[in-house]
Amino acid sequence: MICWSCEKNAGDGMLCAGCGAVQPPDRTADHFRVFGLPRKFDLDVADLERRYKEMTKVLHPDRFARADGRARRASLERSVQLNLAWRTLSQPVARAEYLLSLQGVAVGEPTGSMRSERPDNRATQPVDTALLVEVMELREALAEARARGDSAKVATLVAGVQVLHDKEMAEVAAGFAAGQPNLAAIAARLVAGRYYRRFLEEAEPHEGEEGPAK
Amino acid sequence: MAVETLFEISEPGEAQTKEVRRGRAVGIDLGTTNSLVAVVQAGQPICLRDQLGSLLPSVVHYAADGSVVVGQAARGLAAQAPQDTIASVKRFMGRGPRDAEVTRRLTPYEFAPGADAVVRFSLLGGRRAVTPVEVSAEILRVLKARAEAALGGELDGAVITVPAYFDDGQRQATRDAGRLAGLDVMRLLNEPTAAALAYGLDKQAEGTFAVFDLGGGTFDISILKLEGGVFEVKSTGGDSALGGDDFDRALAARLLRQMGLPEDAAGDRSLTRRVLDAARDAKEALTKLSATEVVIERRPGDVWRGTLTRDELDDVVRPVLDRCEPPARRALRDAGLEAKQLSGVILVGGATRMPIVRRLVASLFGREPLADIDPDEVVALGAAVQADLLAGNARKDVVLMDVVPLSLGLEMMGGVAEKLIHRNTTVPCGAVQTFTTYADNQTGFDLHVVQGERELVADCRSLARFKLTGIPPMPAGMARLQVTFLVDADGLLGVSAREETTGKESSIRVKPSYGLTDDEVERMIRDSFAHAERDVSERLLVVERVEADRILQATRVALAASADLLVDGERAAIEAAMAALETSKAGRDHLAIRAAIAALDAASKDFATRRMNQALQQGLRGQDIGAVESKVGK
Repeated sequence: MICWSCEKNAGDGMLCAGCGAVQPPDRTADHFRVFGLPRKFDLDVADLERRYKEMTKVLHPDRFARADGRARRASLERSVQLNLAWRTLSQPVARAEYLLSLQGVAVGEPTGSMRSERPDNRATQPVDTALLVEVMELREALAEARARGDSAKVATLVAGVQVLHDKEMAEVAAGFAAGQPNLAAIAARLVAGRYYRRFLEEAEPHEGEEGPAK
Repeated sequence: MAVETLFEISEPGEAQTKEVRRGRAVGIDLGTTNSLVAVVQAGQPICLRDQLGSLLPSVVHYAADGSVVVGQAARGLAAQAPQDTIASVKRFMGRGPRDAEVTRRLTPYEFAPGADAVVRFSLLGGRRAVTPVEVSAEILRVLKARAEAALGGELDGAVITVPAYFDDGQRQATRDAGRLAGLDVMRLLNEPTAAALAYGLDKQAEGTFAVFDLGGGTFDISILKLEGGVFEVKSTGGDSALGGDDFDRALAARLLRQMGLPEDAAGDRSLTRRVLDAARDAKEALTKLSATEVVIERRPGDVWRGTLTRDELDDVVRPVLDRCEPPARRALRDAGLEAKQLSGVILVGGATRMPIVRRLVASLFGREPLADIDPDEVVALGAAVQADLLAGNARKDVVLMDVVPLSLGLEMMGGVAEKLIHRNTTVPCGAVQTFTTYADNQTGFDLHVVQGERELVADCRSLARFKLTGIPPMPAGMARLQVTFLVDADGLLGVSAREETTGKESSIRVKPSYGLTDDEVERMIRDSFAHAERDVSERLLVVERVEADRILQATRVALAASADLLVDGERAAIEAAMAALETSKAGRDHLAIRAAIAALDAASKDFATRRMNQALQQGLRGQDIGAVESKVGK
C-alpha cells in the first residue's frame, strides 16, 4: 500500500510506517483479520478486548477531529470496521454465526421468513417442527405459571431452558473444535439456541414486578 | 457480509477540510436550570466564573426595548414579566407544539399560535416570537463572551453537552443553538459521559461505574467502564422529560392547594412564577433543613405564609422520583451487570443533592454514591476535557467510546420496524442489509427511517422518508435493495440505498426537522419496556401472518394453474393444510402459524417439485435446440 499522505510505502499497519498517517482499511478483510487473528471459534475474549481497546486508542475519530479530510475518513472507516468486528467476535453466538456465514452457511431468522422483504432467508435453515412444538409448549407453561402467579414454576422453567440453551451452545463450541466441523449440525444448534434465548428473554421479569436490584 | 459497502456513504462535511489549528476550546454544560463553561488550563479543567460564580442561571428575559438579559438578573425579572422571561428552555428543545402539552400544565409562558412544527414563545404581548433554539443561543452567547474574556481571544471550538437520552431532534436543536451563538460545535457530548471523564481523570477511577444524572429537566443513567484511559459507555438510558423542575411543579401544586387556590393558579402567570420560585427555594432549603417557612405574595399586599417539612417534600417528590427506577434497571441489564458488580455510582446534577434522591440511589445500587466533584460543575469539567482532546492539545492516552442511545431502523411490510442498529452500539458504526420487493412489478421502494425501541413503526419516532424509484418491473423477490446505515462519531445518521440488479442509488443525511416530533414519542419510549413482550409477539404475529398470506396465495395460484400435476389425494391434503393455516392465522400464536406454514410446505413439497420440473422443461422447450445443446455441454 502506498500512503495517501507521504506517497511512500505505508506498510500494512493502521498507520503509515513512514509518516504515521492513518491508512484506509482493507475493505475485504474479515473480522478476524481486522484483529490479526486466525479464523476460529475458540477465542480469548479478554485478549480480544485488549486488542480492541488499544486499536481504538489509535484509530478513534476524536484523534482526527481537526485533521485532514482524508485522515478523518480513514479513521472513521477503520473505526466502523473495528467496532463491527468487535461486536461480532466478542459474542459467542454472533461469532459462531459469522464463522458459518464465512463458509456459506446462513443462519437467518428461525423460519427464514421473519422478514418478508428479505430474499435470502427461505433457503436457510429448515424448521425443526419438534423444536417448534417444544418451545410452544414451554411458552404455554410459562404463560400459565405466570397467570397463576406461580413464581417457583416460572423459575423452574427458566432454569430448565437455560440448561437446554447452554447445552446447545456447548455443542456449538464442541462442533467447531472438531477436525471437520459439521456446519449444518452447528447451524441447527444455533437455531435451537436462538429459540431458547427468545424464551428466556420473554421470561425475564417486567418493569414493576422486579424485586430490589441485586 | 459486505463490510466494504459500509463505506460508500460519504462522511458529513468531508469536503470541508477543517482548519488544523490548536487552541482555545471550551466545554459547555447547557443545563435546564444553570449553564456553565469550563476550559482546560495547565492540564486541569476549571469552570470559568463571573462575579456571581460559575453558574449562569438558564433564564433569558426579553425587554420591551429589544434588549436581552440573561442569568441571575433575568431570574429576578421573571416574577414581574413571566411571559417575557424564559426559564428551563431546554425542556422545549427539539419539541413541537404538541409535545409541549405535557410540560405546559403549569408554565407561565404564552405560546405563539400557528401550525408551526416548532414551539415558539410569544413575547411582549405578541409583538415578538422566539424559538427555543434562539433562547438557548442567548445563553450560549453569554458563556462564549465569558470564555473569550477569560482566555483573551476568540474561541476555536466548543463541546456542548446533551442528555444521553436526547433524541436526534433534540441534538440537532442544540447544535443549531451553538451555531446561532457563533460557536464551532466540535461535538455534542453526552452528559453522563462527560461526568465520567471528569471523575476518571481527576480521581484516577478505574472499573465500571454508573452515572446517575438528575438535572433540572432530564434524567440520564449511563454505565461506563473506565480502564487504562479508555472510557467505554456500556449502556445508557433515561427520561428526557424528568427532573428537578418536575419536583418544583409538583410542590407548587401542593402549595397552591394549601393556599386555597386551584392548581393552575387560575391562569395567573405572575403568581405561577412566584409559586414556582417559592417551591424551588423551599426544595433547596430542605436539602439541609428539616422544615422551612414559605412566604408567597398572593396579590400585592396579600401575603401567604406556611411551613413545609422535608417529609412533606418527600411525599410530593416520591411519585416523580419513582420514574427513575425502570431506566436505571434497564441500563444495568443492557450492560449485562448486576448492581453489586459496579465499582461505584457517580452523582451528577443539582437534584442529586436532595437527601431523598441519595437514598433512592443508595437503595437501587446497594452502596453510597460518590459526589466528591461538585455535581453542578462535573459535566462542564468533563466537556472541557473532551474539547481539549478534540482540539488536539491533549493527552494521547485517553479515548471516549460512546453509544447510540436509541435503536435505528427501517419500516418493513406490515408496519413493523426492522432495527439495523441497536441501542447501545458503540459509535461510529454501520450496518448493511438487503431487502427485496414484496409485490410483482414493484418499481420503487419507500424507505422510512425510524428511531425507537418499539417493534411497530407507529410507536417509533419517524426520522426521515425517501424513495428509490426507477427499478424495472420484476417478479416479487427478484430485486435486491441494499440499505446502508452509517452513524458517525457525532451520532449523526446517514442512510443510502442501492438496487443491485440495476445499480440505482439514493441516499439521505438524516437531519430530522426538529419541530416535527411525534407528541406521543416521549411517553412511548418510556413505555417501551412495559410493552416489550406484547410488542415482540405482536411483531412476530404480523410477520408470520404476512408470510402465511404469501404462501396461501402462491399455493392457490399453483393449484389453479397445475391441477393436472396433482396425484390422488394430494389436493385434499394440501387443502386441509391450507385450511389449518387459515385457522391458525386467525389466532394470535405466531408459533402455531409457523408450524402450520411448515405443515403446508411439507404437504405441497412433492407437488411443488413436479411443478418446478415442468416449468424447467417448458422453459427448455421454448429455446432453440442449439442453445439447449450448448447448455447440456454437447
